[in-house]
Amino acid sequence: MKRPMLVNVRRRSSDETPPAIRTEQDEQALVERIQAGEKELFYALIQPHERRVYVAALAILQNEADAEEVAQDTFLKALTHLGQFRWQAKFSTWLIQIAVNEARMRKRKNHPEVMGPLEEHTEEEGYYTPREFADWREIPSEALERKEIRNALVQALSSLAQVYREVFVLRDVHEFSIAETAAALGISVGAVKTRLLRARLMLRDLLAPGLDGTWTSRLSFQKGNKPWT
Amino acid sequence: MDLSCEDVWREISNYIDNDLDPHQRAALGAHLGQCRNCAALLEGTRNVIRLYQDERLLALPAGFTKRLHRKLRAEIQGPPGSAFGWAVSLAAACVLGAVFLFANLHQFAQPELKSAHSQPAARWPAGPVAVSDDGKIFHVANCPFLHGKWKLVATREAIQKGYSPCVRCMREYLKVGRGPEAWEPGVEFAEEVESDGAQ
Ligand SMILES: [Zn+2]
Ligand SMILES: [Zn+2]
Repeated sequence: MKRPMLVNVRRRSSDETPPAIRTEQDEQALVERIQAGEKELFYALIQPHERRVYVAALAILQNEADAEEVAQDTFLKALTHLGQFRWQAKFSTWLIQIAVNEARMRKRKNHPEVMGPLEEHTEEEGYYTPREFADWREIPSEALERKEIRNALVQALSSLAQVYREVFVLRDVHEFSIAETAAALGISVGAVKTRLLRARLMLRDLLAPGLDGTWTSRLSFQKGNKPWT
Repeated sequence: MDLSCEDVWREISNYIDNDLDPHQRAALGAHLGQCRNCAALLEGTRNVIRLYQDERLLALPAGFTKRLHRKLRAEIQGPPGSAFGWAVSLAAACVLGAVFLFANLHQFAQPELKSAHSQPAARWPAGPVAVSDDGKIFHVANCPFLHGKWKLVATREAIQKGYSPCVRCMREYLKVGRGPEAWEPGVEFAEEVESDGAQ
């Protein structure tokens, strides 16, 4: 891993309109109009998907600049191949599939030494045993106003192995279904479930101290200091 | 049958996803009602998931959309004289036409198109192709769907004048009813991996 993920805390500025709620029928109609030649509608089509594509790439690459470039390449590729999009998957799944493939290719180029068969077999066998059994203290959403909390969450996620990070991001951050997650990552439904269980329990262990003041001592994620090893 | 805590940990993720049969679910529910540790594990895990769904986390970098639109603009509006106008439909048509064209039109040189994203069009014959005065469509010279007055022009010229390829005549020549295939991103990745491995 090169640089750690940086926390970007910018909220949408007031001049940007938030993504409109859009039904699948609306999306299908948009895709058909673009396929028929109204290409300028592509900006509107992708707007609700921009963050998802970027975050999916970030989950794999762990580098903001690379993730942004991969996101741009993903949308370019989606545009040039939209004529061949046949609703074999939801549009969002198809987009994330492209992003995942682009990001993996980029990672192979950046790190040829760590890629290859080894990467596929890092999955640990057996079940994960949770470490932390203190009563969970609820972390309310308001806590995310605090930068150290956001940092802790982002760092905890980036300390997971890639196979866990990508499953967690698609399923729990993007709220893809298990089947969509499997399709987007090109893995089996069973593998999604196994990895998801581990990812969720590892993150909970990492964040278990909650707000009782031990964040900083607990959440020092230097290499070799992973609480579950 | 009573479940152990270990049994619960194994299924806690499926419990959260409501991905258990009713009996398993009831058994887990009973254990969770009595075991403080497992209940804390469940609540904590749900809490973690909820926090990561907040968009304040992992936000887009400032200026992301602006830079993205700048990158897409050339493809969407097309540079002057660009062949992009129908490159998307041409790409689909090429899936139909490629086999036939490779088999029968190998005598034609390959065209040079400006946009790298018009790549699939590289399989199109450079010409001559037939354009008629009854539509903005170009055909292979002996296409039965070619009507009206027509003349032969270079493919490149037809493209630049806004003509689109005739998909019907391609289908007729191919003598198969197969529609254009959907594009799967994974295929491309697999190809790249393969060619990398061959080096
Ligand atoms: Zn228990
Ligand atoms: Zn024709």
